[in-house]
Amino acid sequence: MTPPPDDERTGLPGLRSWGRVYWVVIGVFAAWVALLTILTRAFS
Amino acid sequence: MNAADYVILFGTMLAIAAYAVWSTRGKHDLRAYLKGAEGTGWLTIGLSVMATQASAITFLSTPGQGYESGLGFVQNYFGAPIALIIIAAVFLPIYRRLRVYTAYEYLGHRFDPKTRLLGAGFFLLQRGLGAGLTIYAPAIVLSTVMGWRLDATIVCSGLLVVLYTVAGGCDAVSLTQKYQIGVIFAGMLAAFVVLLARLPAGLTFKDSLALAGGFHRMNAVDFSLNADRRYTFWTGTLGGMFLALSYFGTDQSQVQRYLSGTSLRESRLGLMFNAIFKIPMQFLILLLGVLIFVFYQFELPPVVFNRAAWDYQAAHGSGPRLRALESEFASAHGEERRQLGAWLEARHSGNPAAEAAARAAAEAAQARGESVRAEAAKALRAANPRTANDSDYVFIRFILDHLPHGLIGLLVTAFFAAALSSKSGELNALGSTTTIDIYRHLVRREATDAHYVAASKWFTALWGLVAIGFALFANLAENLIQAVNILGSVFYGVVLGLFLVAFFLRRIGGTAVFWAALAAQAVVFALYATLPISYLWYNVIGCGACMAFSVILQLAIGPGARKAAK
Repeated sequence: MTPPPDDERTGLPGLRSWGRVYWVVIGVFAAWVALLTILTRAFS
Repeated sequence: MNAADYVILFGTMLAIAAYAVWSTRGKHDLRAYLKGAEGTGWLTIGLSVMATQASAITFLSTPGQGYESGLGFVQNYFGAPIALIIIAAVFLPIYRRLRVYTAYEYLGHRFDPKTRLLGAGFFLLQRGLGAGLTIYAPAIVLSTVMGWRLDATIVCSGLLVVLYTVAGGCDAVSLTQKYQIGVIFAGMLAAFVVLLARLPAGLTFKDSLALAGGFHRMNAVDFSLNADRRYTFWTGTLGGMFLALSYFGTDQSQVQRYLSGTSLRESRLGLMFNAIFKIPMQFLILLLGVLIFVFYQFELPPVVFNRAAWDYQAAHGSGPRLRALESEFASAHGEERRQLGAWLEARHSGNPAAEAAARAAAEAAQARGESVRAEAAKALRAANPRTANDSDYVFIRFILDHLPHGLIGLLVTAFFAAALSSKSGELNALGSTTTIDIYRHLVRREATDAHYVAASKWFTALWGLVAIGFALFANLAENLIQAVNILGSVFYGVVLGLFLVAFFLRRIGGTAVFWAALAAQAVVFALYATLPISYLWYNVIGCGACMAFSVILQLAIGPGARKAAK
């Protein structure tokens, strides 16, 4: 198998493609919105 | 501030600036001066991108937003992660492949020289005005509370940043921003810890949040579709995404930060660092303001936080009226505090009926106090319109009144560090764009690197002087952090439209997009003057209008005027 070019390597353990990195970032964003929504509901 | 605070302030600021000048001395290569020889790692890029956006206004004004309106402003940043992903995946590889110095050079490659000039012109106009604001905004607040001269504060802080930005270029900006953001985080963390320690005994963190919620300060997310509301999930995610896409993807002050990366990987990771940490950072700053609000429910705050303006008016004819307002405010606050004590007791003893009754009574007393505050602030503004919104003084007043010496110095240093870090990024970008997109493109096409480096230094200094001059004559009515975002939103949508047409509508040529952008900007100006909608929507409207007009115009003029896409 041909290794990906340098620019395509993320260098992150467990996240070998940029697509996976982006999905993780979207997941973190969704988690933040969920937490803030819970905070709003709990204290408003 | 005492001598120790001043030593911390001047020692830190001058040491960082001197280190930047020393470590970047002797750079005469244009690429090294404007892009730091493309040798910057992801963490420095990430911190540099964060520091360029987070100006002193962020740290002075955002806690005031939290104090006055609660957590809702955090929604403004919901679009940032998605925008940063799009930039990392689409914009960045194209910029790097073409090895451009500025984002507007790409418009020249893709369309034609006039579209490149239009993009650069929008940036210089908008950022040139904004640059004055980033000096003026913290200066007016800090000079008022410290008793310093406003013009001296503007000129001294402005000249310091001009000095090291001109001397060291892109590398000096990234280097100083890394240390400056360290000072900022240390200062904000210290303020948070002291604030938590100073909350009344018996009031737990959960009680504090419940109390803040009772006064509508905990509404972080609002899913309503009401177009009149400035901050909702929808305006933040959609409008905020367009704002962030335009700011991070096409504003040279940001593009220059991540183009300095050693590789595409380093630049992408720097952007992802911001995509992850931007929302929690803004949330914590707003939460700081909410906790200051809770603190002042048990501690009598000043009627208005701009005490210098209050003292001045009290000594110049308004004394009896202001003293009457002060007395009325103290009475309302005393009643509120008494009711909050009853609320806390009922809450801890598990008596919901008594808890609700005490909370309602406390809310009524608080509303009475707020109306007194509003009346006092209105009287002060009528007497002197050149006064920032009172919420901008909340955090600095809290620091000066309730933090120990040493920490006061650290926090004031943090504000100046933030002011200088964003200012240096902006000046660096204004100088680069003027050199590359105007001077080298229109005035002198063939010259040595040393000549262009010298030109870039002169243009950077010139923009610094323009910003200082603008700051000396500025006048503001909006909350500072909002004023900056409003100014950006009026221009950013159209600029983003130019870039999205370039990236995604391959059949559109330079002539169509050029006239479409001008027409779209006219539409945004007209709507801004007439429509009472959230300013974030102008990013969507400007971008959408530019793209739609481009398609219509291209269809009207036919394919002959098109330039092949690159």
